[in-house]
Amino acid sequence: MKRIQINENHFDLHPSGALYWVEKKTLMLADVHLGKVAHFRKNGIAVPRKAEGAFYEKITLLLNEFEVERILFLGDLFHSFQNNEWHLFSAWVKQQQSELILIEGNHDVIPAWKFQQLGITVTPDFKEDAFHFSHFPSEKGENFVFCGHVHPGVKLEGAGLQQLKMPCFFQSQNQLILPAFGAFTGLHILHPKEGDRIYVTSGKEVVEIDKN
Amino acid sequence: MREFNQWFGEQGWRPQAFQKECWKAYDQGKNGMLHAPTGSGKTYALWGGIMQEAFQSKKHPNGVQALWLTPLRALAVEIQQATQRMTKDLIPDLQIALRTGDTSQSERAKQKRKPSFGLVTTPESLHVLLSTKDHQKQFQHLKVVVVDEWHELLGTKRGVQVELALAYLRSFLPNLKVWGISATLGNKGLAREILLGPTENYTTVNAEINKKIKVKSILPKNMESFPWRGHLGIHLLPQVLKLVQKNKTTLIFTNTRAQCEIWFHRLLDADPNLAGNMAMHHGSIDKKIRLWVEEALREESLKVVVCTSSLDLGVDFSPVENCVQIGSPKGVGRFIQRAGRSGHRPKAGSAIHFLPTHAMELIESVALQRGIEQQQIEDRIPYLNAYDVVLQFLMTLAVGSGFHPKKILPIIQSTFCFQTLDNERWQWMINFLVKGSQSLEHYDEYKKVTVLEDGSLKVLNKGIAMRHRLSMGTIVSDANLKVRYQKGGYLGTVEEWFVAKLKPGDVFTFSGRNLELIRMHNMEVIVRKSKSKKSRIPAWMGGRMSFSAHLSDLLKKALFDQRNQDTPEFKALAPVFRQQLKESIIPKPYQFLIERFKTKEGFHTVFYPFEGYAIHEALASLMAYRISLMSPITFSMSFNDYGFELLSDQAFSKEDFLDNNLLTLDYLHEDLEKSINISEMARRRFRDIAVISGLVFQGFPNKPIKAKHLQSGSQLFYDVFKDYEPDNLLYQQALEETFDHGMERGRMTQVFENIQEQNIVWRDCSQPTPFSFPLITDRIRSKLSSESVEDRIKKMYLQLEKVGQ
Repeated sequence: MKRIQINENHFDLHPSGALYWVEKKTLMLADVHLGKVAHFRKNGIAVPRKAEGAFYEKITLLLNEFEVERILFLGDLFHSFQNNEWHLFSAWVKQQQSELILIEGNHDVIPAWKFQQLGITVTPDFKEDAFHFSHFPSEKGENFVFCGHVHPGVKLEGAGLQQLKMPCFFQSQNQLILPAFGAFTGLHILHPKEGDRIYVTSGKEVVEIDKN
Repeated sequence: MREFNQWFGEQGWRPQAFQKECWKAYDQGKNGMLHAPTGSGKTYALWGGIMQEAFQSKKHPNGVQALWLTPLRALAVEIQQATQRMTKDLIPDLQIALRTGDTSQSERAKQKRKPSFGLVTTPESLHVLLSTKDHQKQFQHLKVVVVDEWHELLGTKRGVQVELALAYLRSFLPNLKVWGISATLGNKGLAREILLGPTENYTTVNAEINKKIKVKSILPKNMESFPWRGHLGIHLLPQVLKLVQKNKTTLIFTNTRAQCEIWFHRLLDADPNLAGNMAMHHGSIDKKIRLWVEEALREESLKVVVCTSSLDLGVDFSPVENCVQIGSPKGVGRFIQRAGRSGHRPKAGSAIHFLPTHAMELIESVALQRGIEQQQIEDRIPYLNAYDVVLQFLMTLAVGSGFHPKKILPIIQSTFCFQTLDNERWQWMINFLVKGSQSLEHYDEYKKVTVLEDGSLKVLNKGIAMRHRLSMGTIVSDANLKVRYQKGGYLGTVEEWFVAKLKPGDVFTFSGRNLELIRMHNMEVIVRKSKSKKSRIPAWMGGRMSFSAHLSDLLKKALFDQRNQDTPEFKALAPVFRQQLKESIIPKPYQFLIERFKTKEGFHTVFYPFEGYAIHEALASLMAYRISLMSPITFSMSFNDYGFELLSDQAFSKEDFLDNNLLTLDYLHEDLEKSINISEMARRRFRDIAVISGLVFQGFPNKPIKAKHLQSGSQLFYDVFKDYEPDNLLYQQALEETFDHGMERGRMTQVFENIQEQNIVWRDCSQPTPFSFPLITDRIRSKLSSESVEDRIKKMYLQLEKVGQ
């Protein structure tokens, strides 16, 4: 894990891809894509079902590790239309003590009232203190932005012509993009510029990468 | 018979012995295999028999009676014209139709309403026909299937498609005749058995036409400046230009489409007079332009055509006098095929010029000449247990008339490919289709194929059926985008990953023109002409080919045989050999050479077994794996036909390598299996498998249909299967194919036995040797590591985006 500081607040970058806002006891997850496996299967594409189970195990571990009062989903919580995954998710929501907030992403096609029925707040974006939380990157306003959508990854190079593509937290001047939390989601490779800070996650460790 | 002799006479021809032999065997109701090179008159050898049979029936029922399968669309057009020509003169009422991926919707509908006597098609299009509900009725009058250029299909998954289609047709047409046409192969008997099935009622006909093939290497005047690496061969352009100017028509064969574009441009730059007299032909160029080029070649109106394998097959270009091959053709068979394009008239001799793109290819030139002298074409290794293809085939039946598992299983087992298919794996496949390879749970909503009350399996969901119909076929490619002018005018297709790298305003070369990218829109790349001189050349993924085992054998002989020392090629190589000998050796048959040197990239260890690309790929992984067991280390590997290179940021020691006897035969297969798993050689194989079996849906460039939220890459599937379902047969197939087709399992033991007899010569060098150069400069690499990801990450760094990129 890696702790960073932004505008006098502290954030823990977790190897799972989650981000923990220390001062506000808030856990942030981007691009979970729940029900993606089920959606593929419903359309005749045989992805192993086990690939989906990872979410509930991962988040349980996180909730044990941090003191969480609020969970903020930065969009694309569900991959597509409603399917049986919804029942598992509602069962999980009912057991939660924390406040749940969903910032709508482009994949979130399930109507908002269904989430609201479960007690989840749904909003297009969210502001608190000097921070802005959204699904899409938007490095425009004055506030520092936390977002998802991109599934960021970087290509690393090393001696002996070594190359490695890894998911990462991608921090630029006024924005931090979270890696996708969901399994079976893929990577989009970004090319950092001078001044960007890259925290690669292997699932076990978060490592800040030097530039060449 | 009389009619044919007369018809042949009218054409100014005389029937050849093998043609008469075919007519006779066909008349006796036999199946058969005809071994004949292209341009020998093989089409009429079989069509004659079919016509003769047609003569005998007074009335012709409404239905296809003769089916002709060809591997290429261009060839299908050719065959349709040739057969129609003969049919028109002999039985004017009968029509021959053409059905390929290029056939329009309205034409397809017409063919269905009013089927013609003959149908020329490809394996994919035949499967499309089998996906219709009433296909058994449509084919009820079918008497014969001819499979043309069978050697091109055998050893590919399209060959498996043909096997399945034939077995299926035979199941409801017990009297169906099957004929194959093939070049002479090493494993002739097997090739016949796979196509004709277990019948005793067959004839083999050999057309004994020994075409003389002359091979000449194009040599530089000054060897000192000859490059040690490279794949373009542009430095020899003046010599090629001279050949072009001297001959009436020249075909220039290149191995990749990018190479093809570059040569086209450079030739035009070197001799602007060629404008209007030259053309380009490769698989990404629009059909209309390709057909125009083919026609112009026949009419002798072109001076030179630069092409790729898209012009390899059958198509008859009699006027071509001269062929040039740029770079290694990667196999004797392909070389003979290409040489056969010139002097393409029965009994006329062929000539081909070989242009080596780097020094080591000169040795190859000698090897090719020896191979041609011996008239040897490589064996084709047929696929076994191609689960992806059979799953696709079952889906094809399921979207049409449906199928009964109990009835279809024996049909599938009757093919060569699935002869060992057992009940357990069959159940797995049925389970894959019906339940998504899981056990039934209430929660799961898997939907693909439904079991009906009568026990038959059928697709009921329209979306699933449509996606299957759109993605049928086993030839796999990246998503292709149409390239077109803003004002209209279609130029061809380019692979998506290339365009993805471009920004609007960038200039790239395509179809011989410099084009500026305006924008991408709906699977189309909109461009305008550009006058800019600087441009990028698209590379196409299909570019990399493996060397055949047979050629690697010839290569070794060429290098070792003393008699070759006097050839012009070896004389030209003398300065390169002198440089090699400064710090290293030219290995003799009893020596196994290993070179070690350091550059700014790291420590290079280069091995020279001379066993061909496929074996070296596996050997590199195996060696890297065994070394990585000694201590944590990460390797980047490259391989070519002569040897392989292991590159690492730390040096493993010569003593450790030799003392631990890492070239031992012990645990060979166990170690190979582990190295395949770790190095992920199977990953690339899985790409095809995922598409063919319907896991990855690509859509089509000209039918951009919506597949909402269903896009996913094969890599992601590979990871998921590896982590969650390693016993998945499709994942297992990827590993097995790597063994069987990648490295030819049986040969590996032999290679190791040879190595046991050799002396290991380890040379530490101060700089790269000429032999090592093509290897260490190769940027297409595999990797293998025994370090933890975290340890590796900590040693790595980011490449910042360069300004202006």
